Amino acid sequence: MAPKTKSAILSLGLAALLAGCGHPSNISKDADHGVANAKIESMLDSRADSVVHTIVMPHDEPVFPPGPGRDEFVAACVVCHSPRYITMQPRFSRTTWLSEVNKMKDTYGAHISDEQVQRITDYLFSINGKAGTGHKGAYGE
Amino acid sequence: MNREPTNVAGGGIYSISRRRLLQLLGSTGLAALASSCSRVNPAAGILASPTNLARFPEKAEMILLTDRPPQLETPIHYFRQDLTPNEAFFVRWHLEGIPTSVDLRTFRLNVSGHVRQPLQLSIDELRSQFEPISIVAVNQCSGNSRSFFEPRVPGGQWKHGAVGNGKWTGVPVKSILDRAQVRPGAVDVSFNGLDAPPLPSVSDFVKALSIDHARDGEVMIAYAMNDEPLPMVNGFPLRLVVPGWYGTYWVKALSDVTVLPLALSNFWTDKAYRIPNGPNGTESPKDLAKDTVPINRFNVRSIFVRPDPDEILHPGTSIEIEGIAFDSGYGIRRVEVSTDGGATWADARLDPEIGKYSWRRWRTSWTPGNRGQYRLMARATNAMGETQSKEQWNRSGFMWNVVQQVDVKVG
Repeated sequence: MAPKTKSAILSLGLAALLAGCGHPSNISKDADHGVANAKIESMLDSRADSVVHTIVMPHDEPVFPPGPGRDEFVAACVVCHSPRYITMQPRFSRTTWLSEVNKMKDTYGAHISDEQVQRITDYLFSINGKAGTGHKGAYGE
Repeated sequence: MNREPTNVAGGGIYSISRRRLLQLLGSTGLAALASSCSRVNPAAGILASPTNLARFPEKAEMILLTDRPPQLETPIHYFRQDLTPNEAFFVRWHLEGIPTSVDLRTFRLNVSGHVRQPLQLSIDELRSQFEPISIVAVNQCSGNSRSFFEPRVPGGQWKHGAVGNGKWTGVPVKSILDRAQVRPGAVDVSFNGLDAPPLPSVSDFVKALSIDHARDGEVMIAYAMNDEPLPMVNGFPLRLVVPGWYGTYWVKALSDVTVLPLALSNFWTDKAYRIPNGPNGTESPKDLAKDTVPINRFNVRSIFVRPDPDEILHPGTSIEIEGIAFDSGYGIRRVEVSTDGGATWADARLDPEIGKYSWRRWRTSWTPGNRGQYRLMARATNAMGETQSKEQWNRSGFMWNVVQQVDVKVG
């Protein structure tokens, strides 16, 4: 395939990606086959025109409500992960939140003191807590 | 369809005035958020909201669990297709430092460790020097459906969409290890990708398979997914494919294969991704299992894909009920469907098998007699006679396979 054709196919693909926000295509596999092979050639062949494949991740982080401990939360937690790791969780007991924060400190090495562990737990519990004792969290997902 | 309890992220907890919200948003740059080409409501984490949808690079609109690192769930309607489109295949990373750029001129798959001939293979070499194979296989996150466990457990709050069925093309790990000439005494083969921990104290995500498993001729290093290169967030340019096993072993952006003369030991093998050593990985919240083993093969499960959640059903009008079922490779032999909450069951029709590691589609017609609420249920059984759970719980929210209940209204 001529390099020009390859780059045309690649730029078509990129244009489709960049256009974004449209609805997913639903082309049947058979009709798509020729294009698929061309796409493999254009993206996986190191002699192809474009050998560096790059994406730009969107920034989509929620803003958190004010409250005691919010500063510690923002300083220590969102360094490693989006606050969506909190917003996607159901309400948990203070025991469960404390075990999650301790896991971040003891297992993953978050740079927080014992006092900050308490402040962050207070904050998480205040915005997403429920009464009761609950159980401790586990590792891995 | 009014089914299992809906998990709305932070449901109802963030009461905040509109004015205060605008103040908060003002300080973070609304323009930046709005320009990110997604329908995510920037306030989604603060206000009670329905399911968030987001569009990531090379992906269709998907259910957003987290954005950094990304965890994206496939909307169920995609499961009406036998192969899950790349743009809709679920995404789950562990570490913040995910690869966003790969230069194929310099990228190499490094094969080293307990071998006579270490290798550094370019993508060109993998594609031209080895005989490719293709396998249609389900990839499912260990925590798929976690949000249905009661009591609830922390972790990615997936519904049923952390799963997909793909056609994977690449090179068997066996072919690569044969060229590298494994030395006697090999125990494990470890797999590492380009992702990197955000802090030195966080363990790099490295997983391992036993040498025999790695050399079974089916475990493969895929450079194509559904006949196309992998999307970056699904592991471009190479992904380990472990048919019949949970997604945690399917290492993305695979860059290092290391043969070890002993079992791999790290956080991700010793502490994470372990299940109670008992039937179906189940334990009691009041008496957690002391004995745990690494998660491994899929159990048997099925997932409804029709009727549509918003479908209006009418008495006397026939509808098609449809779903998918899969296991770890023995094969689905039977799916029974109940339309009366489990009182009576009837066999569904099975579509032809696509492959032993693929899911299998099932269908049945149903004509509801009267107006009212109906509870649909589906129960799959595999060639080993294994079927789905009635009850299940473990602390990590892994391996959900409780018989699904779908409540529908006929009006």
